[in-house]
Amino acid sequence: MSNPLLQTHELCKTYRLGRVEVPVLKGCSMHVNSGEFLAVLGSSGSGKSTLLHLMGGLDRPDVGGGEILHDGSSLASRSARQLDRYRARTVGFVFQFYHLLPELSVLENAMLPGLVPGGVGAVEARKRAHELLGRFGLEHRLHHRPRELSGGERQRTAIARALANNPDVLLADEPTGNLDVQTGGEILDLIQEAHQGGLTIVMVTHDQRIADRADRSVQLIDGRLQPS
Amino acid sequence: MIPFLAVFAVALCVALVIVVISVMTGFLDMVRSSGKTLMGDVVVSYPIRGIPDYERLVAAITAKPEAAAATPVVDTWGLLRMPYPAGDAKESEQIQIWGIEPASFAAVTGFADTLKWKAVPEDTAADMRWDLVRQHASELLDGMSESQKVLLLRLTARDELDGATDDVVRRIVAKESPRDLQNRLGLLSFNLADITKVLGPEGIAVLAEAAPRLWNPDIVISDGLTLKRNGRPAMVSGLHVSKANLRTSTGDYAISAGGHWWMPRFQGTLTTLPIDSRGGLLEPESVILPFANEFSSGVYIIDQSRVMVPIETVQRLTHLDASERVDPDDPTRVLSTTPARATMVLVRATDGVDAETLQAAVRAAYEEFEQAADKAGRKVPLLGRDPGLGILTWEQQNASFIGPVEKERELMRTLFSIVYLVCGALIVAIFWAIVYEKTRDIGILRSIGATRIGIVHIFLLYGLFVGTLGALGGIGLGWLVTTNMEAIHESMSDPPLWLGVAFLVAAASMLLWTIWNRQNGKLLPMLLGVLGSLVLAGIGVGELLIRSSGGIVLWDPAVYYFTEIPHTVDWTSAWITAGGAVICSVIAAAIPAARAADIDPVGALRYE
Repeated sequence: MSNPLLQTHELCKTYRLGRVEVPVLKGCSMHVNSGEFLAVLGSSGSGKSTLLHLMGGLDRPDVGGGEILHDGSSLASRSARQLDRYRARTVGFVFQFYHLLPELSVLENAMLPGLVPGGVGAVEARKRAHELLGRFGLEHRLHHRPRELSGGERQRTAIARALANNPDVLLADEPTGNLDVQTGGEILDLIQEAHQGGLTIVMVTHDQRIADRADRSVQLIDGRLQPS
Repeated sequence: MIPFLAVFAVALCVALVIVVISVMTGFLDMVRSSGKTLMGDVVVSYPIRGIPDYERLVAAITAKPEAAAATPVVDTWGLLRMPYPAGDAKESEQIQIWGIEPASFAAVTGFADTLKWKAVPEDTAADMRWDLVRQHASELLDGMSESQKVLLLRLTARDELDGATDDVVRRIVAKESPRDLQNRLGLLSFNLADITKVLGPEGIAVLAEAAPRLWNPDIVISDGLTLKRNGRPAMVSGLHVSKANLRTSTGDYAISAGGHWWMPRFQGTLTTLPIDSRGGLLEPESVILPFANEFSSGVYIIDQSRVMVPIETVQRLTHLDASERVDPDDPTRVLSTTPARATMVLVRATDGVDAETLQAAVRAAYEEFEQAADKAGRKVPLLGRDPGLGILTWEQQNASFIGPVEKERELMRTLFSIVYLVCGALIVAIFWAIVYEKTRDIGILRSIGATRIGIVHIFLLYGLFVGTLGALGGIGLGWLVTTNMEAIHESMSDPPLWLGVAFLVAAASMLLWTIWNRQNGKLLPMLLGVLGSLVLAGIGVGELLIRSSGGIVLWDPAVYYFTEIPHTVDWTSAWITAGGAVICSVIAAAIPAARAADIDPVGALRYE
């Protein structure tokens, strides 16, 4: 069997809150195979987001606190620039609070990753943004600002942005956490559709019913992962 | 909103520096160029005793290709008794007397262009015609035909004679006494068109003969250029010598008493104290000279204290004229002769020759002059021997005046570099606030793969944009203020009433609007409204206060030497300033940019 696409090994992460050290992850080991839809279940504050940030190369684990492997190679060995490129090309983030840039239009937000170093470039980014936004039913909203959109529309824009550079993995952090059940369902349909198109997905959630839509789910309890 | 504040701050700083430096540079340029207008490029001077045989020196200098022209001057100090006020107790002014050869003086300096009067001013002309008509009234009346007298009566009686036939008027004319008719002529003299109609060509010819200047303005100019009036020696005084020339707020001049005290109508008495060869004071010398014209060089201290007089006259006044010493026992026997002397020789450079090159050439010419005098056994002051003898450029001659101005400008530059610092600090603060506001967005950008350098780039570009926009705005604003300096200054010295009222009305309406639109107790709009109206009211009240105290005159020519404020933009300095502002903005933006790059993306994303 080939290597899993992403793999964590005994991952530890400790945060400092003032003088107190708070261990969040205490040795998380897991893997995601290429093309798999994995759900990470956990209550709020369990460290799900931290795990996602580590896997996405936004944050680094504690010194000596395990490692993250992408395609078999460790993220720890990569330079800051290589990590920037990893975030640009390999992973795409979707956040609970959408995190769109308020000054930019829907189209510009969706194009943005194409413009960073390692991105697909302005021309390709525009083409792909049009295509994705069209597919997500936002073609009439292209030139609107995020504040003029509904929550569902914002999250669809955020997903289009996450997919702009054709990443290998979509890292979704409670993508439906801020939406009503019906809209949340539509967003999950969208994610599942992308998964059926071959995209690897890691989604963290606190909701068992949402986790049920994944191929497989693991549970984060007290800083460690257990199969559920 | 915040970036606009930054652009505005940069624009204000740039405009401020441009205005100040432009005025200072303009001032310095005026000082420099006034040299050419007033005394050419190089001056050979030997005060009080004077250079004998100066004609030979002038010839030696003009033989040099570097020199375009040279002219001798005798300068001395004295008193000028003015023609005013009416009555016997006339005023006297302390005066610097320059004896000049008008033709060659005009070739060296800009004298011809500085002559103030190109014709008799309108008010003065009417005043002079009145005098003239009264003086020649009986002669004029004798020369008038009956129909001219009828016209005179009709024109002076206004509507009383409307409808009366010529016969009726003729009968009235016959009844009028000559004195009445003379008075009518005098009355009519104020209207040039009417008096011309009544007197006809013959009558006007009588007046033109008595006062040719009134009908031929060329005479006014040529009198000034030749220092003559009616063919006799005359003087040309600086425009501010006479207290009767009043500068109006528009920069024009009005002559007091309705044009009566126009100097070229009058004469003055020059008095000097000649000095003998041993340096002792002799009996005062006086001469009465008519004024031919007045000059306005734009340099206040000169215009206020100098009078130009034919060189021969000043040589006589100062005993620097040619003289013979005769044997007291036998007055026909000449013991020795002394040639006429000049205390200065002014030299103008040929176009393209700088003052220093000319100075060397004049020095060489002086050495030739010395050698020739030595061979012929004539005594002249010697270069390097006689400490009083100097060959100086205009700038050297006036170093004590130009030096401080240059220093002042440098001081201004230095002081205003502090303005740059303020500007930079402002940008740092404003951008710092922007980075703070955009923390989450920076986290988002990092999450989609933006590099730290990329984030720095964004903020530097932002700084460049703000700096460039601000600098361009500042150049525009600076240009606007500088070129309208006179108008601004004028409105400050005589602020219009409507401006103050307009500010007060604006303040009141803003206050009312703020109270009217108070949005359920929100504090910020209220505060801004109240502050805004307070500022407007302050400006309005200040303006009215300035008005009631008679305005403030910032540019007092007595203090700043020149009668007008420099109002051209120093473009070199302007672009340097603008460039400096752009660079400062980018550098200032780099500090918050570095902070932005250091933001931890995870923390930033959690930041809600």
